[in-house]
Amino acid sequence: MEEIRKHEDIPGVEWVPAPRPFISVDASRCTGCGDCLRVCLAGVFRLRDKKAEVAGLDRCMECASCLFICEAGAVDFNWPAQGTGYRSEWG
Amino acid sequence: MRSTDYDVIVVGAGFGGPVAAKRCAEAGLSTLMLERASTPGQKVISSCTIPFYGFLFGPRWIRDGEPPIERPISGIRNFFVRDGKVYKTDNSFRVPGPLAPRGAIGYTVYCRPFCTWLAERAVEAGAELRTSVTAVDVIREGNAVRGVVTDRGEELRCGIVIDAEGVQNLLARKAGIRGTYRPEAIELCLLYDFKMAKQDIDRVCGYQIEYYWAMPEEEMIAPLGQGSAVYIFPYRESIHMTIGRFLKAEEGVPQLAKLLDGYYEKFFQVDRWREMYAPRAELRARIWDTCPIYAGLYEDMRSMPTFGDGMLLIGDAAGLEAAAIADGVPSAWFSAEIAAETAIEAMRAGDTSASFLSRYDRGLRGHPLIPALISDTHRRDLARARLSGSEAEMRRRVNQGWGIRLLGHLALPVLRAVYREMRRDPRVLKGWLDMFNRYYRLYA
Repeated sequence: MEEIRKHEDIPGVEWVPAPRPFISVDASRCTGCGDCLRVCLAGVFRLRDKKAEVAGLDRCMECASCLFICEAGAVDFNWPAQGTGYRSEWG
Repeated sequence: MRSTDYDVIVVGAGFGGPVAAKRCAEAGLSTLMLERASTPGQKVISSCTIPFYGFLFGPRWIRDGEPPIERPISGIRNFFVRDGKVYKTDNSFRVPGPLAPRGAIGYTVYCRPFCTWLAERAVEAGAELRTSVTAVDVIREGNAVRGVVTDRGEELRCGIVIDAEGVQNLLARKAGIRGTYRPEAIELCLLYDFKMAKQDIDRVCGYQIEYYWAMPEEEMIAPLGQGSAVYIFPYRESIHMTIGRFLKAEEGVPQLAKLLDGYYEKFFQVDRWREMYAPRAELRARIWDTCPIYAGLYEDMRSMPTFGDGMLLIGDAAGLEAAAIADGVPSAWFSAEIAAETAIEAMRAGDTSASFLSRYDRGLRGHPLIPALISDTHRRDLARARLSGSEAEMRRRVNQGWGIRLLGHLALPVLRAVYREMRRDPRVLKGWLDMFNRYYRLYA
């Protein structure tokens, strides 16, 4: 039985938690510019010691804005594995 | 580790993938479709009004079939907003009264049922569909792509990979064929879906999509030219509403969550929304996704390859967005059919080299519609209206893009496509008329 999560602020969407993190930030490349925080509507990122890091993927809608925006190429964006991640009937 | 052989592996069962897979399977090629979602279309987000030319000039089986459409669209109403009030309307682009809504300029659809329907047709034709499986890498031999690696660690070998992954392009990047879309060519769209009674929709917007425009100081939409209007799309018993914004523009990288929420807040105060929609609409979903926009207008992006040794890219994965009206589905369908034909020829010839597959790119460039759709500039030109600071100039530009003067730049490519189809088979006309009637019956 798969676990399904919902969020009140994002109606009409369900999440099946991914078995492992699918987005990460390479700290050695990150310039701490904060662009990934600015474009992400899911609040996936936070800054710590002037570097971006993944705070939580539970609202991620896999849009890849973080990948597109990161000039330093520090964001490693992948798909959540094996059918997990978000899903919606209303796209 | 298991090793399996297919002639063709199609990555992605969105709008384009199943079209390619069905054609390949019909030609007798062993065809596998991989879809990362557990159900096709559950990870596809669009404010989807598929334009008529996708249905007319796209796959014949979609035209002659019974796809799950939501509502026929017979025109565009442009509302101009100042101080929270609609002060002017331009609804010059519409199908003449007696012909509407049977005569449609497009059809709204939900992605999940529509993509599922497409994938089912591909499976009926003999393609194999595996859901909840993600292609995470390609198998390479030198420069050649020889298959894909899945998130389950399987290596699936094939003659040709057809990449229908969409705008994120992860696989094409792994294969070294394309780079990532630049952020100036990506719009993040925040979409709201509202339930609304059918008779209310019939009365409020009927069969017309609604665009709301305002000057920048209104702070209701992104600066003109950057994804621009607030859009409302009527569905059967719901409406889709979307506001988008470039990830990056001259002003730098905005705080998008705050900005988009602010636009919505402003829009929900507009008189027409408050009076006509708000009392009748019930929020059901709030979703977002990125879409390519103007990618065809950047030389560096336009010159990125659409194929490699053993691999063909279709739809958004190939940069085939539609700057004209921001709908990539027709180009995904057109390119899927060209890619399938190319794959069939290549497998028959036993040659999947880049030089053989280059005929795919020639097919794209020679298509009556694709080049026109990706190079249209009028949407971007709205930026000039912003700089001019003139509302009259904005309305003139909107009329060019979404009013009657839209015909000026759409008519020629469409007529070219009509001519091509009629020359192939004059009976196509009956097929088109039947389609408009059948689709209307499906809706009604």
